Amino acid sequence: MKLLAVTACPTGIAHTYIAAEKLKKTAADLGITIKVETRGSIGVENEITPEEIMEADGVIIAADKDVEKERFRGKRVLECSVADAIHKTESLIKRFQDGEVPVYKDKTEKADAAIPAEGKELKQESKVKRYLYRDLMNGVSFMIPFVVIGGLLIAISIGLGGVPTDKGFVIPEHSLWKTINDIGTVGFQFMVPILAGFIAMSIADRPGLAPGMIGGYIAANGSFYGSAAGAGFIGGIVAGFIAGYIAKGLKALKVPKMIQPIMPILVIPLLTSLAVSLIFIYIIGAPISALMEALTHFLNTMQGASKIVLALILGAMITFDMGGPINKVAFLFGAAMIGQGNPYIMGPIATAICIPPLGMGLATLLNKRKYYPEEQEAGKAALAMGLVGITEGAIPFASRDPLRVIPSIMAGGMVGSVISMLGHVGDSVPHGGPIVMLFSAIHNIPMFIIGIIAGVLVTAFMVNALKKPVSDQQ
Amino acid sequence: MNLSQLINHDLILLDVTADTKDSVIETLAAQLKQTGALHDIEAFKEAIFARENQGHTGIGFGVAIPHGKSDAVSTPRVAFARTVSDVTWDEQSGERAQLIFMIAVPESQAGNEHLKILQMLAVKLIDDSFRAKLLSATSKEGVYALLTEE
Repeated sequence: MKLLAVTACPTGIAHTYIAAEKLKKTAADLGITIKVETRGSIGVENEITPEEIMEADGVIIAADKDVEKERFRGKRVLECSVADAIHKTESLIKRFQDGEVPVYKDKTEKADAAIPAEGKELKQESKVKRYLYRDLMNGVSFMIPFVVIGGLLIAISIGLGGVPTDKGFVIPEHSLWKTINDIGTVGFQFMVPILAGFIAMSIADRPGLAPGMIGGYIAANGSFYGSAAGAGFIGGIVAGFIAGYIAKGLKALKVPKMIQPIMPILVIPLLTSLAVSLIFIYIIGAPISALMEALTHFLNTMQGASKIVLALILGAMITFDMGGPINKVAFLFGAAMIGQGNPYIMGPIATAICIPPLGMGLATLLNKRKYYPEEQEAGKAALAMGLVGITEGAIPFASRDPLRVIPSIMAGGMVGSVISMLGHVGDSVPHGGPIVMLFSAIHNIPMFIIGIIAGVLVTAFMVNALKKPVSDQQ
Repeated sequence: MNLSQLINHDLILLDVTADTKDSVIETLAAQLKQTGALHDIEAFKEAIFARENQGHTGIGFGVAIPHGKSDAVSTPRVAFARTVSDVTWDEQSGERAQLIFMIAVPESQAGNEHLKILQMLAVKLIDDSFRAKLLSATSKEGVYALLTEE
């Protein structure tokens, strides 16, 4: 049997070579020929040739950073960490001898596999998950400063300069607070494009950045597809992945040498931007406005139904996408009800609005081990945002780990909303969070506070119960 | 070309009594600082711990190679510690280490010669008999001779 291997570690000083040596030694002990390509700080050494790939029975990729795999298409490829190659060398090689290693498929098939639809092998699926997680994490960590800057500036300007009116908190024109609020708004406007751009960059490197940001901008701005609200951060994540995989697919195309130099700066970004934008505008965007209409209609028909059911639905909608289309529908419904002289719908909504950021903020304080340092900082900012009713404060958490965070904040939001509904909490200002109390816009303040506290506790404890410590996540 | 360019007697510590990974790292970093290999020991330790957090640097058989590539390093150096009893190197897997090589590399380094040397060290460490000799060596001189032999 003839094997090939590639080793690469992040700093490329020691473990790249140790893994290579261990692989060679173990293979020799087992009577197997192996050639190991090392990708360390020195650069690529002992590079594998196309002829060797042709002849090889399998390839081990032991890397903690990205390694080009396209050249191994059609070969049996086993991917593992550098540590595995050092510690479990023998069992890795045995897996080839036992014929357990699957054949590496081509790029476009893999892109489809990002949404694990087919009954793929478990290991393949967990790898896809790992990549999804890595790409998300990249986007989120670049997004966090924008959320924090935007959220805090808006929070300060509303808290200190806002005046409650029946149109929500209004900051007087031509005041310093208005200017600060506008600056904060700029931060928020960058949030989704940055998220999408850096997800795409994680997938496709530099050529993915511009298409991802443009796609993210379109995702966040409903006006492109005739919708009253954009697709929010969830739309941004979708745009980022679409842009990333399109760019990655284009990168894999074989093109004439003459065109090659302009591929990464011109051809790939241009085509990808067009593709992701058109897909978003014509395929994803249109259903969003239809969905919003349907939800609005649905809420209107719910008016006569059980108050508890209505409160559950509103709490879930407000917290689900935090400023996205579903949140907007619920919020506008509550605002419309105030206009009709019924503030008792906005009360539960105002309760739910602040639960995601307050709940996640509290969660980071309760168990630091489950959050990255940057998330702990984002948690403090989220607490401030929660107090003034800026639900977006929880977006960094929800984007990085949606499957654990979104259910937790929805559960908290639903609990808070139901308590407020039962407690007959009213809110005559279309705005949420504890700040509303300061302007005597709340009827039945004690139940409002109880609702918030209950919801925040549910969110914080639930998400910490679901999350694993940071060190186990990788 | 061999390890003698990167290590000297002052950078070989035997019978180190440290009983935690962190204190071994502290000890070795302090020694590197003392021999003038570092501009900024705090920044260097940060680089070391950042690398450990990405994945611990134990390579099995009681050997660990913490390494930092950082602007805080002025000249490439290697420091070696042999602890009296092995310390836990990774909580999760329970991996332990007794032979610890700390590698300091400047962020921007013209020429790859020292990287080649480290590569050779890595290769040597895979060899069982080499490690056995390192463990049984009785003096700094003995260890130095082992590390620098071609």
